[in-house]
Amino acid sequence: MNQLSRITPVSDAEAARLVRPDTLADLASDITATAPSGRRGHAAAAPRPARRRVLLIAAPLAAAGVAAAVVAASSIASPGHQHGSAVKDRPAVTRSHPATGHRTTQARVLSFVRHGGYIIVKVRDPLADPTRYNAEFARHHLDIRLTMVPVSPSLIGTVVYMGLSQGASPITPITAQGRCFTGGGGSACPVGVRVPADFHGNAVLTFGRAARPGEKYESTASAFAPGEVMHGMSVQGETVAQVVAALHARHVTVPLFNTVRKSVGRNVRHVPGDWYVYDAVPWAPGQVMLFVGPTRTEPKLGSGVSRGPQPSPSPTR
Amino acid sequence: MWQVSKGVTLPSPPIAAQDERQRRFEAAYAAHHGPVFGYVLRRTSNPDDAADVIAETFLTAWRRLEDMPPEPQARLWLYGVARRVLANHHRGERRRWALADRLRTDLAVYRPPEYTGELALIAEAFRGLPAADRELLALTAWEGLDHGQIAVVLGCSRNAVRIRLHRARKRFAAELARGQARSAHPGVSVPNGDLA
Repeated sequence: MNQLSRITPVSDAEAARLVRPDTLADLASDITATAPSGRRGHAAAAPRPARRRVLLIAAPLAAAGVAAAVVAASSIASPGHQHGSAVKDRPAVTRSHPATGHRTTQARVLSFVRHGGYIIVKVRDPLADPTRYNAEFARHHLDIRLTMVPVSPSLIGTVVYMGLSQGASPITPITAQGRCFTGGGGSACPVGVRVPADFHGNAVLTFGRAARPGEKYESTASAFAPGEVMHGMSVQGETVAQVVAALHARHVTVPLFNTVRKSVGRNVRHVPGDWYVYDAVPWAPGQVMLFVGPTRTEPKLGSGVSRGPQPSPSPTR
Repeated sequence: MWQVSKGVTLPSPPIAAQDERQRRFEAAYAAHHGPVFGYVLRRTSNPDDAADVIAETFLTAWRRLEDMPPEPQARLWLYGVARRVLANHHRGERRRWALADRLRTDLAVYRPPEYTGELALIAEAFRGLPAADRELLALTAWEGLDHGQIAVVLGCSRNAVRIRLHRARKRFAAELARGQARSAHPGVSVPNGDLA
């Protein structure tokens, strides 16, 4: 196939040269900072057939910011918005508590509305116990697991993670974007999912929700993104002492610093005040982690070198 | 910047296992990112798509790392992952990945080459082939793989590769001959079918 070799569009070496070393390193560390696999939640289960998993990471919302924090109840679930042959939910369900036998009344955490060939599922309570979402999906004969994770403010209401089993019919997440964009200040950011009425297969979906005070984020936007605590700040050439003081004025604290030693990033609690700050990521409400080092400019990392421990879920979770 | 997910609620494995997993991924990434970038860029018409496919390929590899065979087959396995991601992509299942944002910026300078003369004829004949033929021929000519390696990428037998490749080459030769004939006698191929 000599002829075809002559029209090789680009060689491996040329392709690799197009990408800057730090892009290369960051892509690897960004990927390994994501959850390794969805299987682990079912440790005892046999490995499932090949699953197609998709990570959707929404770009920070431009102006949503804290307004997005009212992700809570979905206004769309109001009867006035129901179209077509609605699968009407009673607003609450009464059931016996398994342990006490007491009958308790629990509000539905999801709403299901049939529209055309789809079921529109909206999240009514983003802070509900995930098992309640799963139970409600199951009640509608849908094998869909929905979880909510605490995220930094600008990612609230967005899809952080979506996985579909191979061959599953496509489901479409309904994110907060667009709804929060136009502002309106208090406009709610309903999140949900559009499921074909004849959905088959299974799916796992994770949405970002507001973090409770002290709760560590599991997914973050840039600390400098609109809506995040360092929006409008610059750390270029600033020392740790300067940045920490500026953050203090914003009532933001720094529980951890990340510093690279011998190509390995580590999280430490204290660093010299005259060190320099390179970058920052949101850590928890009112907290950021700073990437720091003794030199004014960040040392370049080689390809494949991780930036070190990221503010990913604590391994002890 | 850091517009990436830092992980989700799924319980994490013990730290040692996690470190080992990360090391294994990083080793494969360091060794094979060039071939994977090349594989994807050679098969996409615009760099934005390439960036998304590359990011999804490595993300899938990270999630399915347990399925990755040891060297020297890791590269072939990664090609297989990239091939499936590309196939989904071509079926219209396109996703824009924040993970790929910086890659997209870096790759933006890339333009697929445009060929003239004889090379244009070769390129045209190649484009005229069924996708399965193109992939077989490309794995041979562009990735330089032998029958056994292609069998790993495609998940079929070596013999099947040999037979399919033989047919693909024949179809390519026929397509090329047709193109050459057309270019030698341009009058026979005006759009409405009339002779010029």
